[in-house]
Amino acid sequence: MSGNRHSRTTYNTFFYSFAGFLFLYSAYLFLSNLDQLFVTEAAIKTREITSWGEDREILNQFAGGFWKDPYFWKSLNLTLVITIMTTFIAAILGIPTAYALSRYRIPGKSVVEVLFSSLMVMPGSVVGICLIVMFNYGPLWDLQNWLGFKFAHSIFPGMLIASLVLSFAFGMSAWKSTFDSVNPRFEQVARSLGSTRWRAFKTVTFPLAKSGIITGIILAWTRAMAEFSAVLFFCGTFRELPASRFSDFTRFLQMDQADWLSVAVWAQVEFGNIEYGFALAFVLVFIGGISVYVMHRIGAKGYVW
Amino acid sequence: MAQRYRGGWWPALCIGIAGSILFVYILLVTSNWIYLGWHDTLYFFSKSRMWERFWLTVWTATVSTSFSLLIGIPAGYALSRYRFPCRYMVASIIDLPIVVSPAVVGAFLFGITTRFPFDWISEYYGIYIGRNVYGVLLVQFTVTAAFCARLMKASFDMIPTKFEAVSHSLGASPFRTFFKVVLPMAKNGIIASMIVVWARAAAEWEGLMLFVGATEGKTDIMPFAIYLDWNGGMMGWVTSMSIVCILMAISAISAMKIIGGKSNVW
Amino acid sequence: MKTIKNLVVLLVIFSFFLVTQAYGGEKSILFHAGLGQRGALNEIKAVFEKRNPDIKVNFSYKGSGYFIADITRSKQGDLFMPGEEFYLMQAVERGFLTDYDPKTDIPAYFVTVIITPKGNPKDIKTIEDFAKPGVRVGLGNPRSCAIGIWHQKTFKKAGIWDKVKENATLSAKCIPELGNATQHRAIDATIVWGTTAVLYLRDVEIIPIEHKYRGIIRLPVGILKFARYREEAQKLMDFILSEEGRAIFHKHAYAVNPVIPVDKQSFCLDGTTDQDMEYLVNAAKAVKDDSFPVTKKTVGDLTEEVIRQKKTTRAGD
Repeated sequence: MSGNRHSRTTYNTFFYSFAGFLFLYSAYLFLSNLDQLFVTEAAIKTREITSWGEDREILNQFAGGFWKDPYFWKSLNLTLVITIMTTFIAAILGIPTAYALSRYRIPGKSVVEVLFSSLMVMPGSVVGICLIVMFNYGPLWDLQNWLGFKFAHSIFPGMLIASLVLSFAFGMSAWKSTFDSVNPRFEQVARSLGSTRWRAFKTVTFPLAKSGIITGIILAWTRAMAEFSAVLFFCGTFRELPASRFSDFTRFLQMDQADWLSVAVWAQVEFGNIEYGFALAFVLVFIGGISVYVMHRIGAKGYVW
Repeated sequence: MAQRYRGGWWPALCIGIAGSILFVYILLVTSNWIYLGWHDTLYFFSKSRMWERFWLTVWTATVSTSFSLLIGIPAGYALSRYRFPCRYMVASIIDLPIVVSPAVVGAFLFGITTRFPFDWISEYYGIYIGRNVYGVLLVQFTVTAAFCARLMKASFDMIPTKFEAVSHSLGASPFRTFFKVVLPMAKNGIIASMIVVWARAAAEWEGLMLFVGATEGKTDIMPFAIYLDWNGGMMGWVTSMSIVCILMAISAISAMKIIGGKSNVW
Repeated sequence: MKTIKNLVVLLVIFSFFLVTQAYGGEKSILFHAGLGQRGALNEIKAVFEKRNPDIKVNFSYKGSGYFIADITRSKQGDLFMPGEEFYLMQAVERGFLTDYDPKTDIPAYFVTVIITPKGNPKDIKTIEDFAKPGVRVGLGNPRSCAIGIWHQKTFKKAGIWDKVKENATLSAKCIPELGNATQHRAIDATIVWGTTAVLYLRDVEIIPIEHKYRGIIRLPVGILKFARYREEAQKLMDFILSEEGRAIFHKHAYAVNPVIPVDKQSFCLDGTTDQDMEYLVNAAKAVKDDSFPVTKKTVGDLTEEVIRQKKTTRAGD
């Protein structure tokens, strides 16, 4: 059946070529920009004019000498600490919510699901605007006045909240589909044998859903790292502010005068420090690539970005 | 005996957390409208500028979705069915543009516009892709093609291969099998993915910030126009356009749930 | 299959769009301008395009400090109008502009004013009040926006720069960020141009600065050497520099007096701009208070702006 084999090969090649195109496009996009890390003559001359007392010697090295600059390490620190805290809070809030949406009969459940799912496709700028309007006007403004500090333009509640919104939505979607795929019959059996609901959850459902929950956690963390516009709108940048403005706790954690990494990439490229900006971008790509690879290896199914 | 809510703090906790988060989210999405007020909403919705942006968003998202569907469906099939060496690595690299922040994607796209093949296009046609609606389409395509491949892989994963095996054993050529057996079974998944990919394309704007300048009316799709007006201090425009974006996202997801139905990808 | 047919139809529509976009047949001038000039330049574009229907003007708005990097990379642009002469001189040094004449190529001037959120919660009246403890000040980043340079200059002249830096809450990348933060009560006081303040009349209080600290900023315009449509760009530049163009600028709270005496650092020496300041303060009052009369005597050329802003409760078009 040579005819069959030929059409089989064409068939395979046809499909391979599309996947190959996407792969090559993506690889080209990321790898061809490696040469942006090298400093060119034109860049040095531009920086002579536009640098304002920054250390030009460091900037004129390969990749902007980013590993020598304390700003880079502080920004990395800031982003990692805040995203880990965000993921933690998202997990604490998201797993019970996903369980409730998956198991219990709530009136208007489909509306609730639509609302939470639509957060995944909402533009980040809309989320940022909603946050600013919500916190700076109305009853929440009075609450902030009473508490004494403001949520907007701050690191601790501000950045947490901005990255929490979308990270929660993604995580909850992953966890809900995990709980949907665990047969509720197991819990019912456990309960019929006399265990309480919490115990049934802890000893029966949770271990069965463990890989899905881990997938959701990694997903939420990755999404929090990729947050850009909500943080930009709600918090802005902190690099130029004086060190005295940050609390002792922030300085202890080495997070003062640092920026969220995605915002730092944008800021540096706009300033003209292309090499530095691209170095930061590559760091982000590297971190993202590792987490995606881990998710694939775990064999995560049924998650969507 | 009527089965009332019976026991345990665990369900109460779950439902309580879900309810309070729901309340916070509803407050989040309606605070815009509360801020704006009914009279202003009507005023801004009556201006043509808003609908020009809306139309621009809709048609660019549609065009890039159609391109990415064309590429994403076969790519998803390949990723789902074939076992080739280092397929995890390949899948991770294909996924990269949607995992990292879109601003980073924009920076990288901005980097490749100065080299082949784009500088050649610039020279010969005088179109600098960075200031045109083509730049918008390119950014949207980059993000949605990968997203589409991912979604398609998930929906093809759910169709067992035995149907294709049966069809082959009955003598159909592989292409005929694909079009007549696999695609109709994946139909719900494809339609649902199409709508979601469209909504994601309409929400993609951080890539545009670095890569494409802001030419009013030509390259500012709705989220980008929100950013520009925010920088112009026009809060009325910002909040009314946010309302439109929120409504677009919610209606896209509702459409997906109604049409997609049983496809359990989402 | 239906999906595939849908796709084919969409692609056909798309190719039609491609064709119409690529062969527009019109000349479009690329105009690099700072974010602070958006309102006035949009009006100038409307008038100019009505007079010359075959020329289109495309703006590329950025914070002033980002122009050099962008122009170096893209090598495109016909006209250039940053927010401060300093940035234009950077371009001249790089050889991007060849024929710039400081005496004739200045269409308008910015004037600095203090703005505070509505109600002036911290009771800021003078420059020295910025150094009071507990006042949240918004400063600009001098690398990226023109107002940053002026913050430094003004506060250094008053001798309170270090104290004000301690009070800094926000470091803005571009001037509208400062205006927004004031509007949202995220900061208590800042200094911006009058033209930025005029966008937020309903939500801010405007306080004129005394003469010795009031800066007059020269706003230049020039044609880049990469210009593709040099004649059309020259036409637009002539329109901007004409009487009519300057009148449009005046309507947006720029200062267009032909001669304003300034000292070496560009702080103003006398009261030439006092009348404009009075108009601005009156305009702020008029938008908030319906009983305040809106006439040419009270708000001067800003009448259109005031009437437009009274139409909606939230700032906008």
